[in-house]
Amino acid sequence: MMLTITIDRALDDPVYEQVAAQVRQFVSSGALDPGMALPSVRALAGNLGVNLNTIARAYRLLESEGFLVIRDRSGVVVAAPAEEVEGTMRDKLYDELRSTLARLRQAGMATDTATRIALRDFLAADRPLGGNGDD
Amino acid sequence: MTEATVVNSFLIFRVILVGGFLLILPHVTRKGLFFGVYVGEGFSDSDEGRRLLHTWRLGCLAVMATALLVGLSISAAGWPVPGNLTGTAVLLSVAAMLYLRLYGKTLALAPPAAARQAERAVAPLQGGRPKGALFARIALGICLLACFATFVYAIVGYAAMPGRVPVLSGGMGAAAGLSDKSFAAVIFVPTMSLMLSLVFGVSAVLNSNAKLSIRGGSGARSAEGQAAFRAAMTRLSGVVALLMCGLLTLLSVQLVRFQLSEIRSLGLSIPWGAGILILSMLGSQIWILKRYGQGGALIEDGSADTPLAGGIADNAHWVWGLFYVDRHDPSIAVESRFGFGYTLNYGNRNAVLILVTFLALALSVTALGLIAFAF
Repeated sequence: MMLTITIDRALDDPVYEQVAAQVRQFVSSGALDPGMALPSVRALAGNLGVNLNTIARAYRLLESEGFLVIRDRSGVVVAAPAEEVEGTMRDKLYDELRSTLARLRQAGMATDTATRIALRDFLAADRPLGGNGDD
Repeated sequence: MTEATVVNSFLIFRVILVGGFLLILPHVTRKGLFFGVYVGEGFSDSDEGRRLLHTWRLGCLAVMATALLVGLSISAAGWPVPGNLTGTAVLLSVAAMLYLRLYGKTLALAPPAAARQAERAVAPLQGGRPKGALFARIALGICLLACFATFVYAIVGYAAMPGRVPVLSGGMGAAAGLSDKSFAAVIFVPTMSLMLSLVFGVSAVLNSNAKLSIRGGSGARSAEGQAAFRAAMTRLSGVVALLMCGLLTLLSVQLVRFQLSEIRSLGLSIPWGAGILILSMLGSQIWILKRYGQGGALIEDGSADTPLAGGIADNAHWVWGLFYVDRHDPSIAVESRFGFGYTLNYGNRNAVLILVTFLALALSVTALGLIAFAF
């Protein structure tokens, strides 16, 4: 089954964010396995009809977040999950998680629903639960 | 067989071929596109849609009949070649007027909601080289090498030629006297070979990377259909480039050998080869249209009812429904809205550069032909 990516210029979210969000979703759901090749910047920009810099920015963002590896020759591939979250990155992710949980709570989402969604996404990607840094 | 019969046969063949293609085109075009306008997927089943299609069918038949009537009448008056040319001109010009009339009517009927689709774009998230891309590059490389070798052979041959060389008689038969050797005549065929090799070879490369105009929603089947059509078009252009270049290389070498008096005639193998190549090319195009439809329309299956998205759905970026102009779109080749295969994005600098190069080569070939054979 061919995966597709969709952008909508009418939305408030910038196009590069829309691209990055969908790639993140595909990786976390396991639809994109580590090592799988993604289209080149030129190919994806051409098919979406957007500027090359928009896709380059999305790819750089995903690379900085550890979702993608950008190589000169083999192009863009999905990164394998890191074995261990490094200190600075761990703190940043925890902050983001706490912020998201707070927003979910404020939006009225029940604790068990939030837990179920989080577990489902982790299990779909076959990620080890727990891991490092549990506190 | 008289000259008039042959010329008239060509006119009849051309009218049937072009007219037949125009007649079937709306039926193999992707759902939602109507005479170069994106009107939404349900339009073809509406009363307006059916009325416009009926007008097109009747119009095409009338155009074909008029072209034949005008062309054959002039031919019957004793001017077969002007008759052929006039008939062809009538066919093309009146068909273009009919198209533009229906384009204008369809554009006026396009629902405003269809414009919303241009805001969305869908692309396959699949890496790696597109199917046929490597073949296209290899074909272009082989053609360019062959053209280079042909130029070298022609220039070396020209240097070795005596001041007076044999000239061909009509049907590429034996020599019909002698004339002064001409550099323009010697490099005419290699230049034509370079032009046609570049046109088809570059088309193959562009086709292999052409924009995939896939549908939103469940567009995976649409993406597969698009990719299959693109691969078929890439293979066709690549094979035509190789065969065309091979044939013209052979012709160029034979012409030089003829002028060096190494052979007495060119024989009929090259004209026969050219005829077979043209018929095969037409046959392959018909097969692709029948198998895939324009842009893979016939194999989109269930996804054909989901809306088109991106540039192909954007009426604002299509001039007369035929010319795509979007300066912000990095695509060079995009799927035609009305026609067969792909067209250029005229808003892209590289696309314009390619077009100008092709036109310059076509002008060079024409100028060389005039210098070598008319004066």
